Amino acid sequence: MTKIIIDGQEIDVPGEYSLLQACEAAGVEVPRFCFHERLSIAGNCRMCLVEVKGGPPKPVASCAQQVRDQRPGPNGEPPVVITNSPMVKKAREGVMEFLLLNHPLDCPICDQGGECDLQDQAMGYGIDEARTREYRRGVTDKYMGPLVKTQMTRCIHCTRCIRFSAEVAGVDEIGAIGRGEDMEITTYLEKAVTSELSANIIDLCPVGALTSKPYAFNARPWELRKTESIDAMDALGANIRIDSRGAEVLRVLPRVNDDVNEEWISDKTRFVVDGLGRQRLDKPYVRRDGKLKPATWQEAFDAIADRIKTTKPEAMAAIVGDLVSVEPVKALKDLMTSLGVASLDCRQDGAKIGGARASYLFNSTIAGIEEADAILLVGTNPRWEAPLINARIRKTWLRSGLPVARIGAPVDLTYDVRELGEDFSILSGLADGSHDAFQILKDAKRPLLIVGMSALSRPDGAAILAACARLAGATGMIGPEGAEGWCGFNVLHSAAARVGALDIGFLPGAGGRDVAGILDGASKGEVELVWLLGADEIDTAKLGNAFVIYQGSHGDAGAHRADVILPGAAYTEEDGIFVNLEGRVQAANRAVFPPGEARENWKIVRAVSGVLGQPLPYDDLKALRAKLVADVPHLATFDAPAGSPGADAALWGNVGAAGPIGGAPLAYAIDDFYLTNPIARASRTMAECSKLYVKRPLAVAAE
Amino acid sequence: MLLYSSLQNWLGNEWAWLISNVVSILLFIVVLLVMIAYILLADRKIWAAVMIRRGPNVVGAFGLLQSFADLLKFVFKESVIPAGANKVVFLLAPLITVTLALGAWAVVPVDEGWVFADVNVGVLYIFAISSLGVYGIIMGGWASNSKYPFLGALRSAAQMVSYEVSIGFVIITVLMWTGSLNLSEIVRAQAGSGGFWGWNFFSLLFPMFVIFFISALAETNRPPFDLPEAESELVAGYQVEYSSTPYLLFMLGEYVNIVLMCAMTTIFFLGGWLPPVEIGFLEAVPGVIWFVLKVWIVFFFFAMVKAIVPRYRYDQLMRLGWKVFLPISLVWVVIVAGYLVATNSYPG
Amino acid sequence: MAWLDRTARSILLADFASAFVLGMRYFFSPKKTINYPFEKGPLSPRFRGEHALRRYANGEERCIACKLCEAICPAQAITIEAEPRDDGSRRTTRYDIDMMKCIYCGFCQEACPVDAIVEGPNFEFAVETREELMYDKDKLLANGDRWEREIAKNLELDAPYR
Repeated sequence: MTKIIIDGQEIDVPGEYSLLQACEAAGVEVPRFCFHERLSIAGNCRMCLVEVKGGPPKPVASCAQQVRDQRPGPNGEPPVVITNSPMVKKAREGVMEFLLLNHPLDCPICDQGGECDLQDQAMGYGIDEARTREYRRGVTDKYMGPLVKTQMTRCIHCTRCIRFSAEVAGVDEIGAIGRGEDMEITTYLEKAVTSELSANIIDLCPVGALTSKPYAFNARPWELRKTESIDAMDALGANIRIDSRGAEVLRVLPRVNDDVNEEWISDKTRFVVDGLGRQRLDKPYVRRDGKLKPATWQEAFDAIADRIKTTKPEAMAAIVGDLVSVEPVKALKDLMTSLGVASLDCRQDGAKIGGARASYLFNSTIAGIEEADAILLVGTNPRWEAPLINARIRKTWLRSGLPVARIGAPVDLTYDVRELGEDFSILSGLADGSHDAFQILKDAKRPLLIVGMSALSRPDGAAILAACARLAGATGMIGPEGAEGWCGFNVLHSAAARVGALDIGFLPGAGGRDVAGILDGASKGEVELVWLLGADEIDTAKLGNAFVIYQGSHGDAGAHRADVILPGAAYTEEDGIFVNLEGRVQAANRAVFPPGEARENWKIVRAVSGVLGQPLPYDDLKALRAKLVADVPHLATFDAPAGSPGADAALWGNVGAAGPIGGAPLAYAIDDFYLTNPIARASRTMAECSKLYVKRPLAVAAE
Repeated sequence: MLLYSSLQNWLGNEWAWLISNVVSILLFIVVLLVMIAYILLADRKIWAAVMIRRGPNVVGAFGLLQSFADLLKFVFKESVIPAGANKVVFLLAPLITVTLALGAWAVVPVDEGWVFADVNVGVLYIFAISSLGVYGIIMGGWASNSKYPFLGALRSAAQMVSYEVSIGFVIITVLMWTGSLNLSEIVRAQAGSGGFWGWNFFSLLFPMFVIFFISALAETNRPPFDLPEAESELVAGYQVEYSSTPYLLFMLGEYVNIVLMCAMTTIFFLGGWLPPVEIGFLEAVPGVIWFVLKVWIVFFFFAMVKAIVPRYRYDQLMRLGWKVFLPISLVWVVIVAGYLVATNSYPG
Repeated sequence: MAWLDRTARSILLADFASAFVLGMRYFFSPKKTINYPFEKGPLSPRFRGEHALRRYANGEERCIACKLCEAICPAQAITIEAEPRDDGSRRTTRYDIDMMKCIYCGFCQEACPVDAIVEGPNFEFAVETREELMYDKDKLLANGDRWEREIAKNLELDAPYR
């Protein structure tokens, strides 16, 4: 720790802090454009100038100077930094004037207006009149894809976007060409930025040069109602802020949470919002004479009650989808249990997980990735299954160059990966040490294994899981050989609802069928009634003649096949709990009300229970959550990952099931990042992205 | 008369008399109502002029058709009868008002011999008819079944009763001075002196003229004695619940009464149809012209009073009627009688 | 004496006579009122009347959907929705003013960076139904076309003081 005096206030900060960070620690705000906490230091905007006593007789850029490099006073006093002297003010005003020289005065038509760093700081350091009469520089707008709108004349060349794409996104597709006044930020070939994180440059841009294309000219920041919530597009549970106006969600922005998403979100999270307004189920439907007809809630409930009362419990089943919060799942489980139904499942993809909690969690935690020193990816494409986990791995890889190996088909993950082939039987070889990669994992202090749903949903998924557990034990990921408190056995989920549903045990009970069993039974006529709670990723053709109740927000595969549709809220429209892949319990909040007659999902289940004459014992969300916590105590602790499970042999010995591992090559579960769920499939922006990023290579190949 | 004689040969006496009378009555009423239309306009114009406004000036040249536009408006408006009102009485009240007001004109001579009923008790007839006018107001106020009209009607009744007393005494002085209850006789009594100095106005009766004029204002609910209406307190007094044609009838009755009072002032004090100076060319002008001219002049003062005098408080109104006018007119009856006896000049 | 004086005055109708003289003087004095629908009083260039959306001389609408007027409107009478137009420029798809909410404070025209929304000199826009007072973009643009000459003149006159 080094002492430093900032504006007469002595503070003690780590020596490697920059002066800017030290100033922040002292509570002094320093204006900046190019500096960003999560990017490398560029020092090219010069807005953060401060005066350093004993330094050069000119202001210095505080973002690029470290505290430990400052010269102490003649008698060993701590170095002195002044941020409010006339010299500093004059220098910053000079910088601001230079920045504004070529910046157009088009704030009224700029989407950044109202939330613009340059605008804000021009209030403090700007002068009200230009001193020049020369022509202003004009720059041709660049094409950066369907998500990012450019207005490059506004650019002040802070290079945040360049550094982001190079460092975080890992795609070197944005850069600067030219020098001095001729400098331009460009994508070189006028191509879309091929990253799932590309839209974060919109947030990074301190001016209006890069703005959101789908949101263009839609609203002003002061019109928006801001709701802090949780994303449901992937299992990461990114912290988001939902900006809405009236009944419409207009955009989603990331919130800072260093343990989960830092301050990035994926493009799907950000731009799926237009899907919330399309294809919505806004009133109940009942199938009559082979056609779905609009109905009242009572008619829908009566239709359900008639069927449920005449159906044996063994012939009923329920499947939970990917986007629902914990509460409706709990309500549905309680309802089904009270009816005696055992065929419950939340694993639409048929993944062979469940059982001990540690066996299906991301035990190392997301932030823990940064401590790892060797990573093995088993049948997963983190870039699509959880882009921010991929960004974390890249961040760690950039910092330490750790070895990353993969079993599965090669995909560009933005960092170097050692391919171990597509044959999963190699896992057994790895576990007993016969493979050379074993030694790398064994030598690593904090080895990490990430096994994805693509592997676990194979017929031999249970065997793969068991092999992974065995490998983890053998390489010290969980065993006593590993670092204290470290658990490197990670399951990478791709559905937001999955961990929560597994936690409350929405799994086949005694004699119950799993998803495959339910579909099988339905096509054979043994299962006569299936309740789909937002489940659209199953093969609905196999539902046969079963009576299908679809409860959800969007008219997708499930609703298409349904006999009764109960319109529910989407994830932005109800308060709910999501448990992310590391077991972190997070609360999502309602930003807008559900459209039309759609209602909150748990209330619908509760209402059906009332119609059936077996009311569930909770009348409001508070009571439901109390019941939830009573049944599953760890859901009471918000915002903390599950603790390390330790090396309990009984636990790890029972993970998965022993069996042969097939040698079939792996197909990744997600074949289109932009169209993984009903909301995304309803979104035009996502369709456009899918066409551009996913489908186009095929089109090119066909030419 | 011309009509009568031409019909006489054709239809016989009775029918000719009836038809000629009915026709001339209708003619008279039409002329009277047209005049009232312009009296109304003049009222508004004079009031506006004193306020440095223009007054109605859009309908017709200088607003000359304004009253007819108002008439149409009133007639075509929806007539609202309050739910709790006594319908028969409610609709009867304005009819009574307007009928009585028009009925009084039967004995008013507008020129030598131009009178429908040249009765010898014309003054008493007028007195009786105008006293009955209060019934219209009381019925209207009561039948509206609403508190403002009711209060307005009560005030109106008290006010008219109060001022009729002093009007009575004024008429007694005129009666003594001229020696007749016949209105034509009263006018003739003022003739013969060669001009306006023979009129009662320029005699011992001048103070009575003032009292009669003021009482006439009170009797017709004109400002400054418009307490029954008192817009600022009672909204519009007994007329609050009236609209459309019934309201029009009330207004019409009121203005017919005003013109009647102007005519009475003219007859009692200003020499009726007599020219101001009895010389050849002025005498050649028909008397009815002089009569109408005098009525207009009196009305001008009515209108000016409305424009320049603020409204009385109710207790001031009562004080003026009972404690000022009544004693003065009583005393003046004695003085006039004493003068006539002393000079032995009483007529008849 | 005062009593006698007062009584004498009231008996001789002195107050009535003086009031009558005064009344007659006013009676013949020039009228202060103007003949409204045919004559109108003078209006300041800053008069804040009916709203209008202006166009540039080439017919392009001025409004750029910056929403500053919507933000500043103290009565929240303005509702704007915007979208990129086909040529990519920022334009409103909806510009509504609820003239019943409007308090004619003129903040909208002061906030406008392009002089698009202005309160013109027209004050004769009484209508028969409430619906007609919900002005939409077409109505406001039509107002602008109709009053452009007066509005431009007023802005020019007021320019030195802005």
